[in-house]
Amino acid sequence: MVHEDYIGMLAAQALGALEVAEVRDLETHLQSCSECRSELSSWEDTAASLAFAGLEEKPLEPSPAVRAHILEAVRAERRSQAAKKTDDAQRQQSSNFVPLQPRVRPATYTWGAIAAGLIMLGLLASLFVLWNQNREARQELARLSEQVRDAQQQLIQQREAIEIVSTPGTKMMELAGTKLMPQAHAMLAYDKNGRAILMAKGLPPAPAGKAYQLWFIAGGQPMPGKVFTTDASGSGSLKDQIPPEARNSAVFAITLEPESGMKSPTGEMYLISAS
Amino acid sequence: MQPEQAQAADVELIHAIALGDEAALGALYDRYRLILFGLLTRILNSREEAEDVLQEVMLQVWRRAADFDEQRGRPFTWLVTLTRSRAIDRLRALGARQRLAESASRNAPEEASDAVKDTLHSEQREIVKRALAELPEEQTRILILAYFEGLTQSEIAKKLATPLGTVKTRMRSGMIRLRELLGGELKSVN
Repeated sequence: MVHEDYIGMLAAQALGALEVAEVRDLETHLQSCSECRSELSSWEDTAASLAFAGLEEKPLEPSPAVRAHILEAVRAERRSQAAKKTDDAQRQQSSNFVPLQPRVRPATYTWGAIAAGLIMLGLLASLFVLWNQNREARQELARLSEQVRDAQQQLIQQREAIEIVSTPGTKMMELAGTKLMPQAHAMLAYDKNGRAILMAKGLPPAPAGKAYQLWFIAGGQPMPGKVFTTDASGSGSLKDQIPPEARNSAVFAITLEPESGMKSPTGEMYLISAS
Repeated sequence: MQPEQAQAADVELIHAIALGDEAALGALYDRYRLILFGLLTRILNSREEAEDVLQEVMLQVWRRAADFDEQRGRPFTWLVTLTRSRAIDRLRALGARQRLAESASRNAPEEASDAVKDTLHSEQREIVKRALAELPEEQTRILILAYFEGLTQSEIAKKLATPLGTVKTRMRSGMIRLRELLGGELKSVN
């Protein structure tokens, strides 16, 4: 299976609807794919929201005894852990404890035991070194695989950008940085079918939980586009579909919003095209 | 409280629980008992089983709070996922799926919560129900069968006598549409 196959399985995984073998394959892939991990987290949020669909109009209240039982169970667990710690400490400190005298063994036995112990230690050390090398090699392989995937992704985006830009009738719009980030700059290209690609530079990294969102403003009404983030150099790109009503004489803008995107802009504007 | 603030408060509660703060566990229970109990009764269709699993879930939260990583998910999602997973395990253990088909009573109006007057849950319930209502019925049905009955895609295909490929496509399309519809509103569903 390839990366795209796993992407296609994530929504079902969030619903717990995959077969056991599929879950096993996916979990192996997730260990080395941060993109799928992040996407799965988003699907899990969507799946969790379904819990509200199970609520009655007047939600049922669990009996008050449930809360009391939970807290009592927690206290009992703490008491049992504390008692175990005390027992252990007393056993170690007890003045009645009489250590057994070590048995005197013949010298040959002692040297033999030492030699066997050293051999065992040597074997264990070799095993540890081999295990460590294997682990590092696997980590390196995972890192390289991720780099290859990123490079493939970039290549696909670049091809799509070239395809859109070279399509007859494609419009190019320039978005300039606002006072908030005057050095920021972006180009938006879109063909007659509304297929668009945006390339932005000079944007600061979005804070945790935030992302940049594209807006199409037609007739004074902002319509939401997709969200994107930038890399360490401040560059970011985005593929989107421009709605028909915004393909002519629209203004395009970019604001900072919650990472899941908003239906109308709430954050500060970083880039805007000329009207 | 704003959704972001509520989420930060939940994270703090879970961190306090990890440090052994019983009062924090009580506070988390008070905040989420209705949604978790609602989910459990919907899946298990038994008040008794739901109360039992709710206790198990909260004990699991107590023991596993230190494993919670806010970088990897929201507290709400963590709690609901844990609860659903326990409920489906219990459902399978009980072999109680047949009972779901029966219209067993869930009639305890006198035990309905006053907290409904705190419109938090009812607003969120409306947002999700409105979004589900916009999905084609066959997609909604598949999402409900998977989420509340714990059926896998092939079990759903068998139950609905529908090709497996069709079930997979409808499930994914339904989830994509649901995510779009909830969109920014998901932030408030926590």
